[in-house]
Amino acid sequence: MSVKVEVIEGGVPHQKILIAGLVLAVIGLYLSYLNVIVGTQMFAFFGGLAAIAALVWGSHTIKVLASYGIGTGVPSAGMIAFGSGVIAFLFATKYGVLAPIVAIVLAAVIGAILGYLANEVLSMHIPVMIKSLTEMAVVGALSLMGFSAMITGSFAFSPQGSFIFSLTTGSVKVLGMSLPSYQSSYIGGALIATVFLLGAIAIQHGFNACLGPGWKQDRMLMLVAECGFLSMMMCAIMSVALISLAAAILSFIVGLLGWYYTYTKYIELSKRDAAAWLDAKPIPEVEGH
Amino acid sequence: MDNIVFSIGITALAGALATVAGAAEDVESDIGSQGDPNSQVQLAPQMGYIHRIYNKAIAGEPPAWGLWIALGAGIAWAFMAMQINPILAIVLGAGLATFVQGVYSTTAYLGRTASLSKFGQPVYIDIIKSMTTVTMAHAFVAIFATVTLCHLMNAALGHPFPLPLLGLVWGIALGAAGSATGNPYYGKERQYQTQNFGAGVPISASGNIVRYAEAGERNSLDNGFFTAKLGGPASGVCFGLIVFLELWRTVLFEKIGAGWGAIIVGVIIILIFTIIDRYIEVWARKNYGPYTKPEETSS
Amino acid sequence: MSALGGAKPAGGSTGIAPVPTLISLVIFVIIFAIMYMYGGSLGVTALIGIVIGGLLIGFGVHFVPVGGAPAAMGQAPGIATGVAMLAAGGGLAGLFGGAWAASQGTLVAVVTGAIGGGLMLAITCFFVNFVYIYGMGIPAASGKVKKDPITGDSQPEYKSQGTEGHGLPFVSFVGGVIGGILGGAGGTLIYLMLLDVYNASLPGVMKATAVQVEPIAVSLAGMFAIGMFLVIAVLAAYNITGTIEGPHDPKFKRFPRALIASAVASALCGVAAIMLVMV
Repeated sequence: MSVKVEVIEGGVPHQKILIAGLVLAVIGLYLSYLNVIVGTQMFAFFGGLAAIAALVWGSHTIKVLASYGIGTGVPSAGMIAFGSGVIAFLFATKYGVLAPIVAIVLAAVIGAILGYLANEVLSMHIPVMIKSLTEMAVVGALSLMGFSAMITGSFAFSPQGSFIFSLTTGSVKVLGMSLPSYQSSYIGGALIATVFLLGAIAIQHGFNACLGPGWKQDRMLMLVAECGFLSMMMCAIMSVALISLAAAILSFIVGLLGWYYTYTKYIELSKRDAAAWLDAKPIPEVEGH
Repeated sequence: MDNIVFSIGITALAGALATVAGAAEDVESDIGSQGDPNSQVQLAPQMGYIHRIYNKAIAGEPPAWGLWIALGAGIAWAFMAMQINPILAIVLGAGLATFVQGVYSTTAYLGRTASLSKFGQPVYIDIIKSMTTVTMAHAFVAIFATVTLCHLMNAALGHPFPLPLLGLVWGIALGAAGSATGNPYYGKERQYQTQNFGAGVPISASGNIVRYAEAGERNSLDNGFFTAKLGGPASGVCFGLIVFLELWRTVLFEKIGAGWGAIIVGVIIILIFTIIDRYIEVWARKNYGPYTKPEETSS
Repeated sequence: MSALGGAKPAGGSTGIAPVPTLISLVIFVIIFAIMYMYGGSLGVTALIGIVIGGLLIGFGVHFVPVGGAPAAMGQAPGIATGVAMLAAGGGLAGLFGGAWAASQGTLVAVVTGAIGGGLMLAITCFFVNFVYIYGMGIPAASGKVKKDPITGDSQPEYKSQGTEGHGLPFVSFVGGVIGGILGGAGGTLIYLMLLDVYNASLPGVMKATAVQVEPIAVSLAGMFAIGMFLVIAVLAAYNITGTIEGPHDPKFKRFPRALIASAVASALCGVAAIMLVMV
């Protein structure tokens, strides 16, 4: 692909997106923790919103990193973000209420060391490499945590006190009775694998789909939000198996509304930026060809 | 004995499903123009060749297919955990995953094309309407077949991984096999049909893709007709053989020699493929001959 | 995307920078010290296995012949897809086989995983050549060497005009199979090490029987193994800037520094994965 990727000009500066994404993601995660405090599951959808905030930030990080040309495709950046993020996320879940903070710290450490390895040991010498991989590992961990909290109602590894919902608990209905089961839980059923890829594709799709000379920041960020809400809808459907129907429907409706808004908005922005918007028209005559 | 016969039946079924999935996967990605050949669809307008080809840039094929399959498997798993019949659960999972694939396709086309506005490449709404639905149909076939074979591995053959994890593993393998086999056929043979047959595309010709059909202007459905004849089936046989031979050697020979039986059979299969590969490589060198005279100077 | 890397100046040298290597080794030792403090000998043994697995993956990626976008047009030799994901495709297919054979002991499972990965890439590489030869009428030719190091076939005159070569010469095919074998073995080894740790510790942590927690142990080990595989494969792909022809490619000589990076990265990820059930 010989698209020359320019360094960002104009638009919201990266620092602002970083802070907004981080703060919103942490707030969203703690709002979903209200589940444990109040003893309900209706706040699960805040986890999805937290994940979307993190994804929007992460996609902009990919844009910054990819401006330097990293040698492999944009998608690999999403893979390394979630590959390192999933490790930090799972480790952090055992700290209960402190999980988001532990995840951020551990992911930052892992990301920084990976960035150092890439930059110095593998001699890539990209100025933003360490910073970008640090950010992306944090984004990976936070978005996984957000979607996980949305699907299970909690981001704790095992049940906390009387709140029985966690990443490793689930239930099977046998003859009308509900029995606890590890096998039909979020981790036991490996739904985390699905969430892993939902996030890893969503984070890179914004930049990968919008790259080119006509790249616009608002269009890319809108697309990432759209991917996030789409992922949220799918997570809501999967969450029916693990949390109450009402909570899952609430998450789905929030996701659907967000998706509809961002999708129509994204189409509008594409219409704004496109050279022409044609329906069943031939290739326009261009001189010389 | 019954157990072995049952397992072999499942293995054959899984191999057949994988073949269907591989063929559908490759045709889907060729109609959508996904993966590495898409670099030329992206490049063409920059060289002044405005075209009416789909530009569905959703990651590479392996990660994208990893998502579609893992998503189908995850949703199917969730429905099965709710005691819904597995077949219905897999159909629902595949349907929802196909919806996600369709949405990603449209956003990718709009995004890439809008970013090419500087070169005058217009967005064609009719392309989105007619091609997206066709790619979604192929995607549904591939997702349904692959999720089903993952379910067979888990439920009938007793693989320890849960369904979504198997979906991730085989989704990435499906994308890797399909893109490796199918990409050159679409990228060289179809996009550059006007270039010399039997030779690679000269780098100087990059971007000059074929944009006109026998009558009218070529669109991506024409590419689907073409690649469905060789690239698609080849990808299907490739993925089908991977799944079938992997299961077959385990199911039949795992018990022999405490696991070493399956390993020895695996080594033999690898050697057979190595010999066939060497044979066709030499065959091609002999029959097609060199492009230029051999250099006499030894260096 | 490979053209993004084509004009890239970084990553051009093949040498190892001494200071970063030293710092990496210090990090490596610190990680092992932490592991020993909290995990004892069980943790350290598992971590050693994980590091060996990481080294196998990082080394294996260098063998897989990937040409990226130009390969799809017959402009460059190799397989037309991304190197990290192709290695993952082979390695995870190996992990599938290895996980299936987990009950038959570590050695059998790791070898089964290795053969699974090799099988996947052998079939894929064969079909690449099949499509090139019978679909497009193009013989295989390498752009980087004059003679195939294994068969001794001369290459330059089989290279069509204006290209860097195409298809998979025999050495690339063998490289692909070796890459699949190493990747499959590495992924399986990481999975088995983690599975042992989880099977031993999870019942105590979760206050449940070993049978009850088995699905959790399998899923956690599988997910961590996939996560680590992707991290190491992407780092190795950065090292070769996205494309390589196989073991005969000059870029192959860069592998020592990828081994350092893989060792530290796998130790780092491994310590977090093990400590999940230790502290």
